[in-house]
Amino acid sequence: MTKQGNSLSRRRFLQGTAAAGAAAMLPCSLLVPDEAMAEAFKAGEFATFRNACPRNCYDTCSIKTYVKDGVVQFIEGAQESTFTHGGLCVKGYSYPRKLYSPNRVKYPMVQDGRRSGKWRRISWDEAMDRIAGKILEIKEKDDSLLGLGLTKYSGHFGITNYVVEGMMSSLGYTTRFVGTPCWPAGIDAQNYDLGNMWCNDPEDMVKAKYIIVWGANPAWCSVHTMKYIMEAQRRGAKVVVIDPVFTQTAAKGDVFWQPETSSDGALALGMARHILDKDMVDRDFVNSHSIGFDDFAEYLRNNVTVEWAAEKSGIPADQIREVAEEFASADPATVWIGYGLQRHVNGGATVRSIDALVAMTGNVGKEGGGARYGHLQTWGFNYHAMIQSPPEGAKGFIGGAAKGEFDFTEGDAASYSNRTVNINKTAQEILDTNDPPVRMLWVSCKNPFAQDFDRPKLEKAFDKLEMVVSVEQFFTETVANSDIVLPVTTMFEEWTVNVSYWHYWLGINEQAVKPLYESKSNIEIAALLSRKMNELSPGSCTFPQEVDTREWMAKEFNKGIYDYFGINDWTDLKNGPVKAKLTSTAAWSDYKFGTPSGKYEFRSEQCAANGHKALPEYKESRKSYDEFRLLTPHTKFGIHSQFVNLDWMQEYYPEPFVYMHPDAAREKGIADLDMVRVFNKVGEQKVRVKLSTNVAKNCLMMYEAWFGKGTDFNVQNLVDDESADMGAFKAGAPGVAIHDQFANVEKA
Amino acid sequence: MKKQYAFRVDAERCIGCFTCAMACKSYYQQVDGVIWRQVYPLDEEIYPHRERAFLSLACNHCEDPACLNVCPVVAYTKRDEDGVVVHHQEKCIGCGNCIRSCPYGVPKYNPVEKRAEKCSFCHERLDAGLEPACIMACPTEALQIVDLAKLEVTNEVQYPAGYPKMEKLNPSTRFILPKAPKMVRR
Repeated sequence: MTKQGNSLSRRRFLQGTAAAGAAAMLPCSLLVPDEAMAEAFKAGEFATFRNACPRNCYDTCSIKTYVKDGVVQFIEGAQESTFTHGGLCVKGYSYPRKLYSPNRVKYPMVQDGRRSGKWRRISWDEAMDRIAGKILEIKEKDDSLLGLGLTKYSGHFGITNYVVEGMMSSLGYTTRFVGTPCWPAGIDAQNYDLGNMWCNDPEDMVKAKYIIVWGANPAWCSVHTMKYIMEAQRRGAKVVVIDPVFTQTAAKGDVFWQPETSSDGALALGMARHILDKDMVDRDFVNSHSIGFDDFAEYLRNNVTVEWAAEKSGIPADQIREVAEEFASADPATVWIGYGLQRHVNGGATVRSIDALVAMTGNVGKEGGGARYGHLQTWGFNYHAMIQSPPEGAKGFIGGAAKGEFDFTEGDAASYSNRTVNINKTAQEILDTNDPPVRMLWVSCKNPFAQDFDRPKLEKAFDKLEMVVSVEQFFTETVANSDIVLPVTTMFEEWTVNVSYWHYWLGINEQAVKPLYESKSNIEIAALLSRKMNELSPGSCTFPQEVDTREWMAKEFNKGIYDYFGINDWTDLKNGPVKAKLTSTAAWSDYKFGTPSGKYEFRSEQCAANGHKALPEYKESRKSYDEFRLLTPHTKFGIHSQFVNLDWMQEYYPEPFVYMHPDAAREKGIADLDMVRVFNKVGEQKVRVKLSTNVAKNCLMMYEAWFGKGTDFNVQNLVDDESADMGAFKAGAPGVAIHDQFANVEKA
Repeated sequence: MKKQYAFRVDAERCIGCFTCAMACKSYYQQVDGVIWRQVYPLDEEIYPHRERAFLSLACNHCEDPACLNVCPVVAYTKRDEDGVVVHHQEKCIGCGNCIRSCPYGVPKYNPVEKRAEKCSFCHERLDAGLEPACIMACPTEALQIVDLAKLEVTNEVQYPAGYPKMEKLNPSTRFILPKAPKMVRR
């Protein structure tokens, strides 16, 4: 990174003060008031540990934790990582408060009546007794464990936390909520086009001459990537931000496009048509490394015009032409495809059309280029914790099971399998699944009442369940709808290892302090359950009954990981995170694509075989069912339902708002900071309004968050479970059209 | 000019992410309601888009600090070696003079200690050759430490719109103003 102006660079600053530091380290003396001064910081007074932020976030920061007297005193970003560069984010720095929050779930507890709030402390033994007893009762009644359901996703991405799936497998064949609300339509799209989801090293964005940030908001959701975008800008790159909302990232771009939501596919195809007309296609790439381009060109000529794209998107035709030409002439040029833009009924089709734009200009496989979406290149662990065998004689579901995008296991040849249901329709699946019904639900690393759709329906669905066990740190709405809550450790209290789906760093997570109260890691919980199961019914659970979490973390490593990252042993990571030894910062630099043809596929028969179009054709967006479009993206102060409940965070973010265009508000007689009621066919939410032209006139926006126990703000009161077009191919279930929602508003 | 450390707040780079503010709170674990660094969105009259441009502010470590001048018990000192204004809480009697006198609203009342407190520029970290917690945390290097004695002024301003102009105090903080992109809207 270069520095502006005359500021001291980090390194120079450290050198410059090293000598002065010693002189300034005068002993503190209260007798000489003008000299009274706290002593210089002494790193040696602390024990330091390596931690890793395990949230579902691009940045997956490596953390250095300073401990004294067995207590975390403060944390900082790992200096070794060029990606985090010694810093975390607003969420990361609040971790000490999460660890020591007085509101943590401290003991196993049982609730006398769901939503009654009548929680009683019980021992771990009693909790396991109740849980194991119920599991055995289900087995007795149904002759299988398909009545036991697991819903788990990305609340804690530490690799050893796949033990939760492992624990379920060690009990037998169960019902699994499979899929992801996050990014599956785009994953499928990239798989059809390129043969995998695989993005360039984000640090190589500095090499880009033209950057389109399309439906992503890194200024909030990947703060550490912003410095690369800004550096590219300083080196002369133009940054275009395309988003239905004037985001913080948009404010840092050179050009902001605010198209009609979900019209992105039309925009990409309009640009493609113009590039074709201008003869700016990279013929070398198209001829040597792709198939189906002529068909795509024909589709464009017959079905797409720049004026049509302008009409669909609201972006003027001359703008589309200008940016298309600039993009096609810049070398390299790149698009960051955000997850937001594929959370639509046409999301997969949209990603395919953007991929095509990047490919036809020859920007795939190029350093500083690429259609950047995400990757799982660094995730080649053993999944030892996840892969567990069912007990002998276990019976299950007959027929294929779907697999999630993070399921790296090979399929086994057993005739029985788990029963898989769509994680994006949790409520409907619980209501509809019978023979046997889902009787008992285990919730871990997930907060369905914050993340799953159609909250009113979810409450009804949970009421059908005979027992709900939540493994949690806080008394969330999901816990309120549970019978038993088990306290789980934070990352400071356990061993695990973390990688990112964006950057290429690997970081260890050491146990920095002893688990607080009676909290236990997911591995220890699995062992406890196994002990109880085998006590009550010998042979009913194959999970080891004695575990050492450090050993279990070590068992996740293998030679492939060591070679990829250039380390000899996982203990090397105690010196700090390491980056993969990449032969190129570009994905697909050898142009050997993972598609059936081995080439980039403008025309994908696989895509057609799975019920979509073979070409990246335009797909219509969802029809509006109410007056305003409703967007419910991330806040910068939290990730999903985590962080905003902390009192530290509420110093800076004390209450939620719905954002509304001043012109629309005037028509409704709504003034700034009024309390309003946002409502639609799903439900309603009362919240204060902020008027802002950051949103379009036909749009309402509220950031998803959970403000803590006793608060009722929940955007899922307004979001239904409509599916996205793609996702079933690689993630096991279609994605969900989170941003294809509509609502109305009135003064409350 | 004597050495004077100052915060350089680059609003062009600042993404308003509040990382600096939370890094400060996390490092010092201030009690509820006490904030040493706050991130303020600029008014729409100053920057045309609501909550999209910010000034990250803490103590300005003034040349002639109001807090120091009004303190009856010499609980404030200004360090000779770098101009950092230090509040010595053990000497503070909680009279509130500094809180009432600082036009930037920097000193805060700590209801537990019943005394004032404010940003220390992390002088205990400076003295160990480390950066202040907020600066180390900033993901875009929008917040930096500069020595005013050596700063060759380029596009820095001392009194951006929305920030009180207190020439007698001569606050050390310097600012780069934010920019807005070309807007193409439907």
